[in-house]
Amino acid sequence: MAASLFSVISRFLEEYTNTTPNKLKLVDAYLLYILLTGAFQFLYCLLVGTFPFNSFLSGFISCVGSFILAVCLRIQINPHNKGDFLTVSPERAFADFLFANTVLHLVVVNFIG
Amino acid sequence: SVCILFFSSFLLGLLSSLVLSGLVLGAHALTPSHHLAASDVARLEAVLSQSFTDLQSAYYSIVGLNKLGVSVADTDEACRFLQSNVDPTSIASLFYAAEASQSLSGCEIPVSNETRDFLLAAVSEDSTISQIHNSVSTLSSLGLPLASQEVVSALTSRITKEDNVYAITLALQTAAHLSQQADLSGILEEIEDLAARLDDLGGVYLQFEEGLEATALFVTAAYALSDHVDMEPPLKEDQVIQLVNSIFSKKSWDSLSEAFSVACAAAALSNNRFHVPVIVSALGPATVSHRQPLLQLQVTNVLCDPLTSASVVVESASSVTTKSAILNQSPFSLRDGIFELNFMNSQPASGYYQFAVAVTGDSRLVANHIELKVKVSTEVVISNMDLSVVDKDQSIGTKTTRVDYPSKAKNSFVADSHQNFAMSFQLVDVNTGVELTPHQTFVRLHNQKTGQEVVFVAEPDSKNLYKFELDTAERKSEFDSISGTYALYLIVGDATLENPILWNVADVVLKFLDEEAPATVQTKTLYVPKPEIKHLFREPEKRPPTVVSNTFTALVLSPFLLLLILWIKLGANISNFSFSPSCILFHVGHAAMLGLMYVYWTHLNMFQTLKYLAILGSFTFLAGNRMLAQKAVKRSKVPHWIPLSSSTLV
Repeated sequence: MAASLFSVISRFLEEYTNTTPNKLKLVDAYLLYILLTGAFQFLYCLLVGTFPFNSFLSGFISCVGSFILAVCLRIQINPHNKGDFLTVSPERAFADFLFANTVLHLVVVNFIG
Repeated sequence: SVCILFFSSFLLGLLSSLVLSGLVLGAHALTPSHHLAASDVARLEAVLSQSFTDLQSAYYSIVGLNKLGVSVADTDEACRFLQSNVDPTSIASLFYAAEASQSLSGCEIPVSNETRDFLLAAVSEDSTISQIHNSVSTLSSLGLPLASQEVVSALTSRITKEDNVYAITLALQTAAHLSQQADLSGILEEIEDLAARLDDLGGVYLQFEEGLEATALFVTAAYALSDHVDMEPPLKEDQVIQLVNSIFSKKSWDSLSEAFSVACAAAALSNNRFHVPVIVSALGPATVSHRQPLLQLQVTNVLCDPLTSASVVVESASSVTTKSAILNQSPFSLRDGIFELNFMNSQPASGYYQFAVAVTGDSRLVANHIELKVKVSTEVVISNMDLSVVDKDQSIGTKTTRVDYPSKAKNSFVADSHQNFAMSFQLVDVNTGVELTPHQTFVRLHNQKTGQEVVFVAEPDSKNLYKFELDTAERKSEFDSISGTYALYLIVGDATLENPILWNVADVVLKFLDEEAPATVQTKTLYVPKPEIKHLFREPEKRPPTVVSNTFTALVLSPFLLLLILWIKLGANISNFSFSPSCILFHVGHAAMLGLMYVYWTHLNMFQTLKYLAILGSFTFLAGNRMLAQKAVKRSKVPHWIPLSSSTLV
């Protein structure tokens, strides 16, 4: 059971390294960073407490929101999905990503207190 | 067909119930809520008996008193006054003198031919209705002839020009003096038109907005004319009663003319051919008892004259609580102007009874069905008063002591926390022997030393035997656990009892455990300054130690390092950085926006931030748009997008 799991994972990693374009790997690295940041914030909250609650919420929401926006960006610039996004060029996707992040972080900074 | 049958019977039932309810509602006619009592009539006479100052006040006094059936103190003196003060050149003066002399027996006002012609000439379309009225009345009082038809035509044309209430009332009054052969139908219609102008106030009063005097004069004139032509005035019974309420609600009058108008209206309503309102009131409180078994009613007209020719009958009398009928069609007997009925002969139980009284004998009587509430009161006697002290664990009493009213028990009763004090008694009607349940049966315990008193309610059981039990342990809070001698009182009262009872039955010594002894009742400390409340500010939340927060800060920032490492490993670089102006400006603008976020966190508020963001944002957007367009163009020039190439996003 563990052996098959291990083989699946290694196979997956191999495929990933070989077939994924570099651009997407960069975005994936960014996603991993955001994920870890959010996880560490949550860990602090669990261990130490929720004070100040608004700060925790805004930090956590920032991570969650950024993650979602980055996922959107990744979907839109993936050449596999070009057929689904005929009107959206990668530049346009990036511009949307920047704009959405600006709005998100405006709200986050407002709430962080 | 069965459905149709049910449906039609349902409709019939509905219709009949509606008709029945209409009848029931109609049967509950209005009765006068305001009327003159004998003292008010006397006051009216006194007002009208004041000595006269001028001819007009003489007229009001003499004629007013005549209407009340009273004559002036000195008729000769009055007659001389009239004769000496009359002014033959004034129609009003002649009117006052002539009318007043008519009320005095054997008084004549000499009138010359010129005066008569002068009066006749006043009857024309050019005179006011008031002048026409005065001259016609004068001519009629002096017995001089007049042309009725001319008067009618003059009045008819004047009515259209003078449309106010006083004028039309005077026109009605004038028509009452005219010959019956004249065509008075036009003027007769004015009664109905004027009646329509009356204001209905709350269904109780009916009066002109011009006031009491106008209403009273209208009533006088309307009935005078109606009697003259022998035609019933177009006033419904309820309207007549509402007029009675309006005219007789005021018991002291502002002016002699107002008093005069009330006297005239009272005379008109007590003595006309069509409507005579009946005033029925009980003499004193409507209460009957063994000592006073007669129910006495005053049945009068509006002038407080008893209607001795009428027959007064109780149509039905039923108990308010049990709704059982006691009397049916029992007549009252007349004695000295008061109608009496011995109600106690029917042996009613004590309580309230609803009487429906009818006054008959004259078809003119209005409001002759009256509802009256009569109270039958009685005296109570307390019997079988038994006091005992019962141990809690045994239900049988140790010893019962019987006490008779009004004496007090010789020995006092002792009850401590293991014992109950019990009391039982019966309340009996002294005349009939029936058990009574009065509204108030209280047991009061009064501590003579501290002045404290505690009141309990004694309740009857199903056999109407009153029981009271005092559980010493249970009730100690009401007594504040103060042991001592308490005087026990029994209080019995009710609206239908003539002898309420306050009886000191016995003394009870109560012994409580754990006696506190508040010397005085706590109410004294209510107004003493209270202890100061110190405000506790919200304590700041406990913060974790700095070491912990620093550690976690480092931990949270660490993934950024990981990101940089990964990016370098993947080969991200800025080798493709173009130094085009739009590119540089975009990066500068974007960096400024990030800087603005930091400044927002530390210094600014949302409004300022939005302002700066709008400026920076639009600038960055334009630059970025340019830059990305250039990138797109560059990208399209490359045949296809090669994966794993070193082109970068930044």
